Amino acid sequence: MKKANQPLLIQQAFGVRHLFLFVLFPFLITTIGCEKDKLYEVNEETILPPNANKTKLKTDQQYIAILYANLFQTALSSDDLFEASECIQSIGDKDLVHEVLISNYMNKPGVILPTNEEMRANVDGFITETYNRFLVRNPTEAERQYFKNYINTHPNVRPELVYFSFALSNEYQYY
Amino acid sequence: MKRRGFIKKAAAATAGAFAVPYILPSGRLFAATGAQLAEHVVMVMFAGGVRHQESVGMNYLDQSQGIPIEGNIMYNMLDGAPPTQKIVYGTDGNLSGDTPIPQILGSTIQQQGTLFKEVRSSHAGHYGGMNALLQGNTLYSQGLRQKPLHPTIFEYTRRHLGAPASKVWFVGNGIGNSTPLMNYSEHPDYGAEYGANFLAPTITFGSQGVEHLSDAKIYHPEEELDPIYQMKYFLDNNFENVGGTIETIHNTEEEKQQIKDFLKDLYGLGGNIAKPPVTDNGDLNTVGYTVEVMKRFKPNLTVVNLSAVDACHSDYTGYLSALHRADHAVGHLWNQIQQIPEMAGNTVMLVTPECGRNLNPNPIKDENDWYAFDHSDANTQRVFTQMVGPSVPSNLVIGDTGNQIGETADNCPTIAEILGFKDDVMGTGLISSTARSLFDRI
Repeated sequence: MKKANQPLLIQQAFGVRHLFLFVLFPFLITTIGCEKDKLYEVNEETILPPNANKTKLKTDQQYIAILYANLFQTALSSDDLFEASECIQSIGDKDLVHEVLISNYMNKPGVILPTNEEMRANVDGFITETYNRFLVRNPTEAERQYFKNYINTHPNVRPELVYFSFALSNEYQYY
Repeated sequence: MKRRGFIKKAAAATAGAFAVPYILPSGRLFAATGAQLAEHVVMVMFAGGVRHQESVGMNYLDQSQGIPIEGNIMYNMLDGAPPTQKIVYGTDGNLSGDTPIPQILGSTIQQQGTLFKEVRSSHAGHYGGMNALLQGNTLYSQGLRQKPLHPTIFEYTRRHLGAPASKVWFVGNGIGNSTPLMNYSEHPDYGAEYGANFLAPTITFGSQGVEHLSDAKIYHPEEELDPIYQMKYFLDNNFENVGGTIETIHNTEEEKQQIKDFLKDLYGLGGNIAKPPVTDNGDLNTVGYTVEVMKRFKPNLTVVNLSAVDACHSDYTGYLSALHRADHAVGHLWNQIQQIPEMAGNTVMLVTPECGRNLNPNPIKDENDWYAFDHSDANTQRVFTQMVGPSVPSNLVIGDTGNQIGETADNCPTIAEILGFKDDVMGTGLISSTARSLFDRI
């Protein structure tokens, strides 16, 4: 037999090659080629903007009560609340009547506003505080940057105007 | 760019270039095709449930209380001599209500225009009746505390005439009975963006309005209001990205400023406005503020609803008094329209009760021991319509008692015809199959 005449070393090498072909190679293929996805046991989450969960429109009374509390840091009496909500119902353009109502409140004594100097001394803090007060959330970085730029490039903008715009915003009418 | 893509884009651009010049500010593509009979229409939804007997019938106490006294207590609107006995509907003289209010108009609305003596009201209730007047339809599926299901004449006017919001007004007698809901429908093809400006002056300029709206701070348009709007629009854009929107009737910023100025000016007048000579009920005040709206905005369409007559549920004397005042209000309204240069001779006015009242009384008696009337039976289907202005035949009576010609839903296509877009409205398929322009019934 030709095989029997071969040197022992060659026979051993042949045996190792078969071992590699039939045992180790399939093992390597299955362990390297079919690596499974790692599972970290974390729930999948859809990332939404922070205002996405506001889906319910405030009633007129809710809007007025919250607006008054935001501006004056105190509650509106029930009689005034009822009357003010009747006023809102009496005008068809809700944007317009909200604007008139807010500008009436801004004309009353007791509105709690930071001064212009306080706002400009800490614009970052003012923006965060305004978002928290009116929209009950923190600003995104994009929002923070927008307002920072806007306030810094518009010297005539004062806290009252910023508050006014938040109270007039669509997001403020939802909860 | 690939050849096919280039051809597609070039074709789209060419089509756009042809189409864009025809897009009006309102968003409609083409101007209304019909000829206008007048540039302005005023519709009075008359009074809150009017019995045919005491109005066009001129039966006074005869067919209600079993007292054989007849007469016309609406002598600005109708031809006919007033009652001579048991006068209770006027202002107070020696006795309560014994002094009739003097006639305002030199010739009655009946003499100046066309009277449809008996038309059919398809609803026995206020809200359904008013919706029929506004929608030109008699939807029995319409809920009470629900916006109109079909488009209103306000939306038709804004969309098909291309009228901006400040040219279409609905002046309500108050905020009860779902009145504020009627300035636009929930129909998907129309809706808020074509809605009317609504005003309930008894509230807006009443004690509530004075307390909460009259002291508005005046902001500088460029230096203060512009930044407010810019910041608001930024916030709105962010919120719109997640689906958050608010229905709005789309007054432009300029229109909003005009309305705010209007409110401010009227608060400044402190009630010294163009009210009728007698102003002792809510309807008369409402009409006074309606005149102010017309003087300021010269609307293409003004609708005003009066409701004091509904006192008839429990107070027949109060009903007569309110009916007499509603006539006074209509006379004053027509008189004042002729004082507004842009509207004089260029306005058609329609007057129609939204529903009638019952044939038989309920058991409630008033101070004169007279019975009251509700509205639920077949007699509530008997109302009338008056029409006056350019292109309306004068001194013409159509139909008669017991011979109904026309229905309350006719008012919507009639207004559309006057303003020149009847074909558009009839073509929507949303008007009642029996409703027609009143001009087609003459």
